[in-house]
Amino acid sequence: MPPVENHARPASDLKVVGKRLPRVDAKERVTGEAIYPADFSLPGMVHARMLRSPHAHARISRIDTSRAEALKGVLAVVTAADFPELPIGTMVPMGETGYDMWMVAQLNMARHKVHWVGQPVAAVAAVDPHVAAEALALIEVDYAPLPAVLDIASAMAPDAPVLHEHVVTKGIEPRPRSASNVCSRTVIARGDAARALEQAPATASISVQVDTAHQGYLEPQVCVAQVDANGFATVWASTQGQFTAELMTARMLGLPLSQVKIVPLEVGGAFGGKIAIHGEAVAVRLAQKCRRPVKLLLTREEVLQGGSGPPAAALIDIAVAAGKDGGLTAIAGTYRMDAGGLPGLSPSLVMQASAALYQCPNLDLQGFDIVTNKPRTEAYRGPGGIQAAFAMEQAMDALCQRLGMDPLEFRKRNASVTGSLMPIGTPFPSIGLTAILDEVARHPCWTDPLPRRRHPTGRGLALGYWRGTSMTSAAHITIAGDGRPMITMGPVDISGVRTTMAQVVAEEFGLPLADVYIHTGDSKSVGYSDGAAGSRVARTTTAALVEASRDALGQLRARAAEKLQCPPDQLDYADGSFRARQPGGAAISLPELMQATLTDGAVVGRGVSTKLPLGVEIGAHVCDVEVDTDTGLVTVLRYTAFQDVGLALNPAAVEGQIEGSVVQGLGWALMEGFDYGPDGRLRNASLLDYRMPTALDVPKIDCVIVETPVPNVPYGVRGVGEVPIVPPAAAVANAIARATGARIARMPMTPERVLKALKADI
Amino acid sequence: MKVLLTCTVNGEERIVLADTRDTLLELLRDRLALTGTKEGCSNGNCGTCTVLVDGQPVCACLMLAQEAPGCDIVTIEGLAGSAALHPIQQALVEHGGTQCGFCTPGIVLSAKALLDRNPQPTEDDIRHAIAGNLCRCTGYGKIVEAIAAAAATVRGS
Repeated sequence: MPPVENHARPASDLKVVGKRLPRVDAKERVTGEAIYPADFSLPGMVHARMLRSPHAHARISRIDTSRAEALKGVLAVVTAADFPELPIGTMVPMGETGYDMWMVAQLNMARHKVHWVGQPVAAVAAVDPHVAAEALALIEVDYAPLPAVLDIASAMAPDAPVLHEHVVTKGIEPRPRSASNVCSRTVIARGDAARALEQAPATASISVQVDTAHQGYLEPQVCVAQVDANGFATVWASTQGQFTAELMTARMLGLPLSQVKIVPLEVGGAFGGKIAIHGEAVAVRLAQKCRRPVKLLLTREEVLQGGSGPPAAALIDIAVAAGKDGGLTAIAGTYRMDAGGLPGLSPSLVMQASAALYQCPNLDLQGFDIVTNKPRTEAYRGPGGIQAAFAMEQAMDALCQRLGMDPLEFRKRNASVTGSLMPIGTPFPSIGLTAILDEVARHPCWTDPLPRRRHPTGRGLALGYWRGTSMTSAAHITIAGDGRPMITMGPVDISGVRTTMAQVVAEEFGLPLADVYIHTGDSKSVGYSDGAAGSRVARTTTAALVEASRDALGQLRARAAEKLQCPPDQLDYADGSFRARQPGGAAISLPELMQATLTDGAVVGRGVSTKLPLGVEIGAHVCDVEVDTDTGLVTVLRYTAFQDVGLALNPAAVEGQIEGSVVQGLGWALMEGFDYGPDGRLRNASLLDYRMPTALDVPKIDCVIVETPVPNVPYGVRGVGEVPIVPPAAAVANAIARATGARIARMPMTPERVLKALKADI
Repeated sequence: MKVLLTCTVNGEERIVLADTRDTLLELLRDRLALTGTKEGCSNGNCGTCTVLVDGQPVCACLMLAQEAPGCDIVTIEGLAGSAALHPIQQALVEHGGTQCGFCTPGIVLSAKALLDRNPQPTEDDIRHAIAGNLCRCTGYGKIVEAIAAAAATVRGS
C-alpha cells in the first residue's frame, strides 16, 4: 500500500475539496424521499410502545402483564425479566471512557428500581399503534416509592437519599466507605490559585445555574427490528453509530455480535442524543417473541419525558484574577454536573475546555459528576461546553470590566498559542486563536458603533474551545465496472459528511463530484467505526478515504501498466486516466481500464484511521443585543461567529454547521429549559411548552472562517460542528451585562429572570 | 372502528380504509404510504407534518382523517410534477437549506403557501411564513435565503 502523505495540500491546487457545492443527498431530502426509520415498513410488521415509570424514584415490587397479553391484537409483552441481568462495569467501547452496559440496559428497561419519570418498565407489540397504546394501560406495576432527589444541591446533601448503593465517589483519597450521589471528583490543578486570587489587584467571580435543555432533534427515536428463521436480528435504526448500537443491542440481549446487524437509515437530527440505543434491543426481543417485524416509535412526549437523555444541568462557580497589566494570574472553578439517574461522564473535558484558551500560571479546577432522579443525561453537541463557558466567559468579561480593559485586548493578552500549556499540562498543537482574534478586531461586527434602539443595547464577546476526539473510522472504495469509485464508509452521516467525503475522493481521483457514489455501510458490510460524535467523522474519514483512494489507485496503476505495456512508475495519473510518460505515450481511462479488466477481479481500496492527531476547535463569537427593560426580553440583533476550521472541505456545509449550532446555543441561552415539578415530572414535555428558536427568534448568523491547518492530518481538517454551540450563552450574557450592568447567572436567560436581575441591580 | 373514506390527495381520488382515530397524518403515512410527510411531535407544535389543505398550510397531525373527504390535499409527493424539482426545492438544494432533512418537506409546503399568495415576499414575510416550522439544524438563515431566491425564480418564469 502506498504511504499516505499526511500533509495539507495548497488550497489553490484543489478542484473539488474546498468548493461550495450542494449536498449530494439534498434532492431526496427536499422531495421527502429520504428514508428515516419511521418511513420504513416490512410485510407483517407490528407496532410497539413502551410503558414508562410515573415515579422519579421507586422500587418495582411486581409487574403483571397478563391482562395486556390477553387484549385482542396484542402479540408480545416484555419487561426486564426478558433480558439477561448484566453486571455493573461491563463496558462497550465508545468515546474516551466507553459505556457501561448495566447503564445502557437501565436506559432501555428498568430492573428492580426506577430512577426517573419516564424510565421504561415494559413494552408491548400489537397489530396497530392504537392497540399497543391501549395495552399499556392494562399492565399492572406495583411501585414502592422512595424519596427522590431532584437537584444537585439536594443530591450532595449529607443526608440525601442515595440512588445507587454501588456508587462510591471516585477521585477521593482515602476511598470513602459509604455510597454517595457524587459519582466522581476530578481535579485539574497547577500552581497556587488560592494565593494568586488573594494577592491579585483585580478579581471577578460568578456562580451560575444552568437548567437542563434538550438536543431537540425533530425526529423522535424510531427503529424497526426483524428476526429471521435462523435467529439473526436486523435493526433499521436512527443512530449515530451502527457499531455502537450493535454492541449495545447484542450485549443487552445476550446475543453474539454475529447475530445482530444494525442498518443505519437517515437520521433526523441527533446532536449526541442518538449514540446510545433507545429501544433497539427491546424491539428485537419483541420481534423474537412474536415472530413478526416490530416498529418501536417514541412519541415527542416520551422523547422529552425521560425517554431519551437530555444534556446535563449544572452549578458552576468561577473565580479569576489578573495583574494590573491584564495578565491572567489565576482561574479557580467548581463544576457540578447533573448526570440524571445514572452515573455520567467525568467533567474533566468540560473543565479543560472552559480554561483552555487562556495562558494562566495558577489553576484550581474541581469537577463533580452527580446523580439525581431525573433522566440519565446524554451528550449534546460539545457536551458541557456551553454550561462551562456561560460561567467562565462571564467571569472573564467581569474581570475586564474591573480592569477597565477592552475584552478583546484582554483575550489577546492572555490567549493560548501553539505550544503554550493546555490545562492538563501538555503543549497545544497548532492553533489559530490569535488569528481569530485579529479577524475579530478588524471586522465590522466589532468596529461598527452599537446600534441605537428604544431600549439599551450591548455588545458581547465570548470564546469557545472544544477538544473533540478521533477514534476509529473505516471505509472502502470499490471501483465500479464503469471506473467510478463507490465509497462505503463506516461512520454515519449526521452532518453532511457524505458530501464532503465524496468531495475528498473526487479530489483524490481527479474526477467530478458526480462521478463518485457514497453511502454508509451497515454493521455487517464495512469495517468497525466509532459513532458520529466528538467532531471526529469528517477528519478521520478523510484520512481513511485518502488511504483507501491511494490503495485503489495503486491497484488500478498495476492493471494500467499491464494494459499499456509500461512499468507502473512510468505512468502518470490525472483526471481519471493513466498515461505512459514518454512523448506520445498511450493512455487509458478508468472506464476503459475497468471494462478491459472486469473479470480480473475486484478493485477494492481500503482505509482506516485510528489515533489521528486531534483537530481542536476554537471559536470567538460577537453579538449585539437589545434588552427590553420593561419586559426583560432579550433580542439578538446581530451575531457573528469566527471559527478556525483547519480547512473548510465545503464552506457551505461548514457555515451550515456553525449557523445551526449557534442557534441551538441561542435557544438554550434565552428560552430552552426543562421545568421539573416537585414530583420529578417534566412540566413542559411538549414543543409548545419547551420552546426552541423559530425563524422569528434569531437573526441571520454571520460566519467568518479562519483556516489554520492541523499538521500531519490529510487536508489539515479540524472538527467543526461542536464548538459553535459553546460561546453563544456567554456572548449573549456579556452583551446583556454591557447593555444593562446586570449579570444573569441563570440559564436560560428568560425574560422573567432578566427582569428580576435588572430589578436587583437598581 | 374502521371507516371507508374518499379523498383527493395530490390531485388523485383515493379510497382508503382508515381507523376512526386516525389523524390526517396517519392516513397519509400509514394508509397511503405517503411517507414524505414526517411526524415530529403529533401535537401541532413543530410544523414538520405540514401539508396543504385547499391551499392552506395545515399540520396533518391536528386534522382527523375523517375531515379529509371534500378537501384538496397536497403533500410533498404532489409538488414536483415531473423529474424537475419545484423552484423552492431547487433553491433549498442550491443554498444549503436542508441538513438532516426531517423538517424540509414541511418547510417546502409552508413556503409554497407563501409564494402562492405573495410572490414578492420580504425577509420578514418569509420568516413569518415558516415560523411554525421548527428546524434544528440550519439556524434558518439558508432556508430564508433559499425561499427568497425561489420567489425570484417563480416571478421570472
